[in-house]
Amino acid sequence: MSLPPLQRLRQAPRHLLVCEKGHARHARSRHAAHVRDHAYNCRVSFLIPECGLLPEVLKSTIADVGEYYLVRNLPVHELVAHDFIDAFVKKGSCYALTYKTKIDQDNTAALLPNGNLILSVDKDTYEELGLQGRPSKYSGKKVMRYIITIDLTDSGFHPDSKKHNRVLWALKENKPLEFDFLLAWYHTGAEGSTLVSYFSKNQIETLKPKITFSTLRDLQCPLLESNELYGKPEESCSTEELFEWLGAVLNQVSLDNKSSSFLSTYCCPQPNTIVEKAFLCTITGFIIPEKIIQLLEQLCCYFGEPKLACWLTLTVHGFADSPVSWRENEHGFHKGGENLYNFVIFRNLDYWLQMAVGTNDDCPP
Amino acid sequence: MALSEPAAAAATFERRVLRSAGEHHYLRVWLELPDGGARPSAAQFKQLVVSALRELHGEVGAALPVDVLTYEEKTLSAILRVVSSGLVKLWSALTLLGFYQNRRCAFRVLQVKPCGDWIGQQ
Repeated sequence: MSLPPLQRLRQAPRHLLVCEKGHARHARSRHAAHVRDHAYNCRVSFLIPECGLLPEVLKSTIADVGEYYLVRNLPVHELVAHDFIDAFVKKGSCYALTYKTKIDQDNTAALLPNGNLILSVDKDTYEELGLQGRPSKYSGKKVMRYIITIDLTDSGFHPDSKKHNRVLWALKENKPLEFDFLLAWYHTGAEGSTLVSYFSKNQIETLKPKITFSTLRDLQCPLLESNELYGKPEESCSTEELFEWLGAVLNQVSLDNKSSSFLSTYCCPQPNTIVEKAFLCTITGFIIPEKIIQLLEQLCCYFGEPKLACWLTLTVHGFADSPVSWRENEHGFHKGGENLYNFVIFRNLDYWLQMAVGTNDDCPP
Repeated sequence: MALSEPAAAAATFERRVLRSAGEHHYLRVWLELPDGGARPSAAQFKQLVVSALRELHGEVGAALPVDVLTYEEKTLSAILRVVSSGLVKLWSALTLLGFYQNRRCAFRVLQVKPCGDWIGQQ
């Protein structure tokens, strides 16, 4: 691995971008599964060209993105208590993620909707804790971080089992771990007890996602052809070009620079067209995949009526410090902790899905 | 159901995996300056970045294509874009820069992102 120093100077950290295309109504399309597998999302934004006013259906979908909760100083052993498992984990999708913890420095915990509790802990905590785990993939030759996975819905994890008692002892008496947790719970059917009433003796705050709308005027949009992932010179742009352009739009970067400009030479990819107005909506918070699937479905329905727009985009950012990206794939921060995906929905309901991860990540599914 | 079946022209499934394919990297930085005194304009800011590159990597470094995508004079924060092969050079040059017009200064690199993911997070 040792490279001559000058060559190392030219190296940039590795990152992966996976691009898929398919049809949203295809029976075997996996796009919804990809959304479902990405559990922890901190920001969702969508951009609709040629749209001045949002349809009512979409407005109500956004309003329904749902509340989430912040519980301060919650001992982790409360998440493995059977009252909690029976009331929430087994009766819907329960999401929990430690708040303001850094994945490369601190201990971190996350509860996935499939009932797996993941603890990403440093070496000292791991040794004190006395639970079985595996070394982190990204901690180098000298392992400094371990991942412990506990399946809360496992049949062997009943209240009197040895396994349960061991976990409870480790987290309650041996090495009590306490975090601020972000919580969300999605369930269908009859009302049960709520997270607020369950955690009433802890400090629980109900939070609402922050939603911002803006209308962008005279926006240069690249031309896209749903069948051409690679783009065609003079005819349509590629997925990478679109991805870069989208970043520019969301950051309000000026798109019409000249190649001789001193400050910046970035310009909208060619070919492009000027759109009179485009609607941009950004939702930030702890947003669960079920709600994103609903939003995606509504965005597909947007093309049910004839529209001027040829495509629209939906971008979802994962938490940079979450211990997993897709499914239970381990996630690390390295330089940016990026894990995100972006949908481009075309008028004929073809879609492009771009999934991007940084250095310390497995390839997206 | 027959109506919603994809037509023959509808996209067939295709998957591409691009490994480190992004041509550029993006840095979100802010310039720390002592209070008071002139704040650099956008052009002066870019000049400062180029001079930082020249100081550490010579004329070849100064020729590295760097774009100042956004710059806010009030907060002295900016988003820079650089070709991926020049990321280490730019980052090191910014880190080692210590003076702006004979005043102490420091570049703080807040985020480094490949490809389109250069949107402020969290």
